[in-house]
Amino acid sequence: MKRRNFLKACLIGGTTIAMGKTNKGWASGSFEGYPESMGVLVDTTRCIGCRSCEAACNKEQKLPEPDTSFDDKSVFEEPRRPTAKAYTVVNQYEKEKPGGPVYRKVQCNHCNEPACLTSCFVNAYTKTKEGAVIYNSKVCVGCRNCMIACPFNVPGYDYESVTNPVIKKCILCYDTRLKVGKPPACVDICPQEALTFGHRADLIKIAHERIRSNPDRYLDHVYGEKEVGGTSWLYLSGTEFDKIGFDPSLSNDPIISNVKDFLGMVPMVLSIWPALFSGIHLLSKHESGGEGHDTESKEEEP
Amino acid sequence: MKNMIKHGLAVVDSPYDESGKKRTVVQKLLLGLSPSQYLLQAFRNPFNWILAAIFAIGIPILLGRFVFGLAWATSGSNDYPWGLFLGFGLFAMVPLSSSGFQLGTACEIFGRHDLEPIERLALLNGLLGYFFAVVYLLADLGQPWRLPYPMVVSFGPAAVLFLVAWHVATYLSVQVAEVSTAFFEWIGFPAGKRGVRRITLGLTVSGIILSTLHQGALGALFTYAPGKVHPLWYSSSFQWLHFFVSSLPGGLCMVITVSTIAYKFMGWRTDRRFKEALDRCTVTLAKGACMGIATYITIKLIGIAHDNKWSYLDSGWGQWFMLEIIVGFMLPLVLMTYGVHTRKMGVIRLGAFATVFGVVLNRVNTAIITFNWKLPEREIPPWREVVISLTIFAIYIVVYRFILYRLPILYKWRQQEEEVTVTEAVTAPAAGHREASPVAVASYSKMTKLD
Amino acid sequence: MSSYKHLIVAALSLGAISVFTPLAAQCAAVPDSVTLNQNGTLYKPFDFNHAKHIQQLKECAGCHHHTTGTLVLDPDCARCHQNSSPTAVVSCKGCHSAQPFSPETLAEKHADKQRYHKDKMGLKGAMHQNCIGCHQKEGAGPVGCQECHTRTEAGEAFNSSSRLGAKPAHAKKH
Repeated sequence: MKRRNFLKACLIGGTTIAMGKTNKGWASGSFEGYPESMGVLVDTTRCIGCRSCEAACNKEQKLPEPDTSFDDKSVFEEPRRPTAKAYTVVNQYEKEKPGGPVYRKVQCNHCNEPACLTSCFVNAYTKTKEGAVIYNSKVCVGCRNCMIACPFNVPGYDYESVTNPVIKKCILCYDTRLKVGKPPACVDICPQEALTFGHRADLIKIAHERIRSNPDRYLDHVYGEKEVGGTSWLYLSGTEFDKIGFDPSLSNDPIISNVKDFLGMVPMVLSIWPALFSGIHLLSKHESGGEGHDTESKEEEP
Repeated sequence: MKNMIKHGLAVVDSPYDESGKKRTVVQKLLLGLSPSQYLLQAFRNPFNWILAAIFAIGIPILLGRFVFGLAWATSGSNDYPWGLFLGFGLFAMVPLSSSGFQLGTACEIFGRHDLEPIERLALLNGLLGYFFAVVYLLADLGQPWRLPYPMVVSFGPAAVLFLVAWHVATYLSVQVAEVSTAFFEWIGFPAGKRGVRRITLGLTVSGIILSTLHQGALGALFTYAPGKVHPLWYSSSFQWLHFFVSSLPGGLCMVITVSTIAYKFMGWRTDRRFKEALDRCTVTLAKGACMGIATYITIKLIGIAHDNKWSYLDSGWGQWFMLEIIVGFMLPLVLMTYGVHTRKMGVIRLGAFATVFGVVLNRVNTAIITFNWKLPEREIPPWREVVISLTIFAIYIVVYRFILYRLPILYKWRQQEEEVTVTEAVTAPAAGHREASPVAVASYSKMTKLD
Repeated sequence: MSSYKHLIVAALSLGAISVFTPLAAQCAAVPDSVTLNQNGTLYKPFDFNHAKHIQQLKECAGCHHHTTGTLVLDPDCARCHQNSSPTAVVSCKGCHSAQPFSPETLAEKHADKQRYHKDKMGLKGAMHQNCIGCHQKEGAGPVGCQECHTRTEAGEAFNSSSRLGAKPAHAKKH
């Protein structure tokens, strides 16, 4: 009889634990982006490295004059990353390969669940329903946590500025174009249509359709469809993704799911610690002094 | 200072001087010396010359950082957004400051009143460590004047940094309150002291909560960068535990370190109670630190086993990791255990230094050295960044020393009314020091070490 | 005001190629030269040597896919269009929209769940891919921007050409 009760208790306990786990699993990474989210599909097999997108971005976002002309091909000598002065850059890979060099445009990928947004302690970032990850530079304190958090190394910091240094990055031309339904400037200027603008959901279909109809041209993977919970920018490639500057080790879980273990612990500590330690305090007093309140008044003396 | 006392100058340890007159604040600030005597002892101290040299170069550069911007002062790197100011200043200073809440807990919650002689030093160590972590942060923030923004302007409560900001801010105020009892004694404001004593339990418990959370939160900050921190220094499930647990021995060993330095170079400022209790307290702290280190090494191994990262040990990074664990944690564990058993204080202290080194190395490794381990280039901090970091650390030392010289941290403040009621306090005056014959201060030729 | 918008408009002035019927194409009404990019702001208009390309390629379908009487060549297209008759238009802009990403186009595409050809290229992309793609494949013919069309002054400013020769950022570090 007793044993049966014990088993029952075990079962109940086990179920509770299992349910707890299920709930947790269900709670993380279920957000797949806004249904009307827009996006851009980058076909790296089409890009010819003309850097028009860099020039267009520079003019549209009113960025400072570049270090060197957008015609200058010497920038391809080393891979570059987006900075506060250039929200997008084109890098060259596989120079010696027979397929010719492969180019890849780099900019903010506009994650469905952006790490920058979740890491920002002044809530400067916003994921708009159009899919853009924008930010309010008026509240940016300059802690640069978002740069630590971004799995794609995108946000740039305006270190040069003394009085108003803030984070800067691609905003998908939200203010000037996306808001009114227009494609971002880089997409507009691309001569090769290496960039395809559209609803993210449509772009995923298009990407898989391109892979299906040209299996020799593309690898069977749409980078950004699932990575870190999905991104608004998606990539097709004919070359292994890690050879053209992508991080193939990124998990499909959004970055925030790494942090949830800790965030879940916070309210527990907040609620349990006070009772626990006050209790220990009371217990230790009875042990040492003996008579409860008298001991306490004694200890109040310095 | 030691020599001055030897030759008849009294140490300020009560509101009244020898003739029974009440001391003024200026007198207290000058340590009971005349201004010329004070300057003389300051000039005679070689350590002050080193500090002066650091400040002569460092202060202009520190100011230059605010005039010419971060790009001028730091590497200004987009790939390594957190340099020495945070990697060393914030991430290393905070764990070394966990002493405040630990000894607060031991004394006030667990009733370990035998540790009281060192409690105030631990509280002060906590306060200053946190305060200067914030100073480093201010030097690093792009717009330091916006530091209060997460408190008043715009809230990002889901961010770990939000927790860190709030916890450090509230914990700093808690620590100010905890240390303020010493200040109230010194300034002569018993009502304030009584008020703070009344809420000590509340302060201590909130201290534990805030410390647990944000020591952990500093670790959790790196869970935002799962691919960037090297796997041996990263664990998504245990990162906060690793940071929290390693901060425990870090804080205790920092107190051992500081008390050793104070004992060696500031002996005049300590009273008999402190001197007699120091070895006993050190042993107790070392025991606690050993427990902490053992736990830390265990969960570190669990962390590696949990994600099956053993293969990383067989790499250059792995060797670097082993160095950190062996020199910074395992060696001190052995040294301190041995020292505790054989009561060899030197061995214990050596172990404590090694632990402090280990904790600092762990934080610098996580934040800077192994960060972005997949990128081909490592960032080496430019000289201005190094100089500024050194300068802030030197300011930290000066402030630390300034307070230890004056406030009743290492000695008990003799209040007249207490001399009647509390017997223990009366034993405090260091009478032995005053026996030497009074000779004019300026005539000492053999003054080598004036602290 | 973004001047590259005009570029698109300009690129589409390929509409300079008149609309032929397939029959007309087979007759000799084929132009020897076509002026492309007539309204370009960043790039000047230029003459496309149609006659030379006809001579070298012989096969109209090499460029004008499924528009000039030749059967579809792409096996994937042939799955459905094996027996389709040539389309009525020959010019690129007859099919390829000048504004492939306009809100209207996108909304229409998004709403029409049954639509199969969701991935039809825009006019500018179709033209450039056709030319550059073939030039790359054949290893002959221009592939750089200014080898076909020279820049206008606005184009030079747009590309910050005045800064050509300045050291790129990464070069400064070393």
